[in-house]
Amino acid sequence: MVTTDHQISTQENRWLARVRRFRSREGAYWVMLAPLLVFVVAVAIYPLLFSFRISFFKYRLTDPNQVQTFVGVDNYLRALQDPTVLTALRVTLIYVAGTVIVELLLGLALALLLASEMRTTRFVRSFLLVPMALPPLVVGLVWKSLYNADFGVIPYYLKQMGVSVGRGPLAEPAWAMPAVILIDVWQWTPLLMIIFLAGLKSLPTEPYEAAYADGATRWSRFIHITLPLLKPTILVALLLRTMQSFKVFDTIYATTGGGPGSTTTVLNFHIYTVGMTFFDMGYAASLANVLLVIIAILSALYIMLLERQQL
Amino acid sequence: MIFRRSRHSDEISVMNRRSALERVVLTIVTILVVLFFMLPIFWLVTTSFKFGREAFAIPPRWLFFEFTLRNFQEVLATTKISQYLLNSIIVSTGATILSLALGVPAGYAIARSQSRILNSSAYFFLILLMVPPIAMLIPFYLIMRDLRLLGTYASLIILDTVFDAAFVVWMMRSYFADVPKEMEEAALVDGASRFAAFWRVALPLSIPGVVAAAIYVIIFSWNDFLFALMLTSPETKTIPLGILASFSAVEINWGKMAVMCLFAIIPALVIALFLNRYFVQGATMGATKG
Repeated sequence: MVTTDHQISTQENRWLARVRRFRSREGAYWVMLAPLLVFVVAVAIYPLLFSFRISFFKYRLTDPNQVQTFVGVDNYLRALQDPTVLTALRVTLIYVAGTVIVELLLGLALALLLASEMRTTRFVRSFLLVPMALPPLVVGLVWKSLYNADFGVIPYYLKQMGVSVGRGPLAEPAWAMPAVILIDVWQWTPLLMIIFLAGLKSLPTEPYEAAYADGATRWSRFIHITLPLLKPTILVALLLRTMQSFKVFDTIYATTGGGPGSTTTVLNFHIYTVGMTFFDMGYAASLANVLLVIIAILSALYIMLLERQQL
Repeated sequence: MIFRRSRHSDEISVMNRRSALERVVLTIVTILVVLFFMLPIFWLVTTSFKFGREAFAIPPRWLFFEFTLRNFQEVLATTKISQYLLNSIIVSTGATILSLALGVPAGYAIARSQSRILNSSAYFFLILLMVPPIAMLIPFYLIMRDLRLLGTYASLIILDTVFDAAFVVWMMRSYFADVPKEMEEAALVDGASRFAAFWRVALPLSIPGVVAAAIYVIIFSWNDFLFALMLTSPETKTIPLGILASFSAVEINWGKMAVMCLFAIIPALVIALFLNRYFVQGATMGATKG
């Protein structure tokens, strides 16, 4: 086929017009996104790079000359050998596993219990939303007084049941961890309940109708239909709460302060102590980066799950 | 779309088609659940109206006690509660306005754009949302110190906004994606610019989503403790810090502390009890929508 100059130019024009149209359309979107991108790069990315840099330095805020000495990966090597870090990691894993497992089971149970749209259940649900909206610090303070050995209501009722907790749940090594886990469960189970409620409501009806026709029991419908269909929601909720649980700080600060001993010193709290009580900034930054990597791996998994759910 | 209320939800509910015995058991379980989640809050509210000796009474007096407003009078007279509340209001307002102004247009752009780079930048904000605050706080503290901004409202508002805006983008993106494009396209055909289509057409249709996002941002910034702990000065302490600052570790007046805590939870109570539709929407969309 012979192409004339005229044809070429109109093709070119058409192509140019398309580029121009794309530009004007996409350009506007870039402009809408730009202010936030600039802000985030300045306020979030720059500090994270800064943190990456000082993690290779020995840098104590208490040093009158503010000397920063380059020490290579020493801070990271130190973290690997530091028994307090390993303890903090172990404590964190216990805390995360304890909170997430209990909250998932309880949240699912609550969602099933309160799934109907009757007025009473909706009323009850609105009350259960309150804990997750509260400042975690206040939640910590309230539970601290409930746990108080002298006048707290929890040790009192435990004593009535014949259980003695000595200096109170928060001060006894065997009780402190379950006690702080219970606070987390109290505050965050409702979040899982709402996520599961939304998941339950989006389930298709057909499998249930078929199961009905087959005369399946409620239990087998739950095990064979509801649970498998709800699996994506459960996984997303699991990862979300795991990441949040890794970052617990306020309630620990308000209740045990990491004690007794280091039984409730989670990694996040330990990093704060290293940075803000010992002012060992380089080391604190390296520990924070380790936590960042753990969370990054979890969030990569989380995003993969969300992506798959979308398809 | 958001929080589906459909008829078939009754199909899987546990409350229907039950024997009388099961209904009784489930009702009792429900009551126990409500008690578990409500008693700590009830305890906080009643303690704020109790005299000291009754707050400490063993066995605890849940319902019958001498009612007093003395704790409130003392808190207003002896602490800087009004200053702390004002600081919290300034910080929350600043963070809310800034993160909505930055996050809502960005969420719209990501939802409407055809560009793959723009679309996947949503995940960048999701990752940002997951960053452990302490990892951001240590360098941010040093930078603010060098800029001599420690103890200012601005430092706290800016750091809150990083996380708040990331949440707003993530939430508004999925909200706008569910808003039908037809009206915007009609406006574009009539010669409106992309910005006008956003501002005049899409945004007014999405007010409920913006409200839900705003509610979350208000809660995040009002409840924040860690950032305020390191970035505020005695003059700019927000309410959680103020509560701690008003009591020494040795002697705590629980009645007064309960009053301060009560002030600190007012926004949470209002939002959870009266704006719970938006609140639920924010929780489910922020967490699970891809």
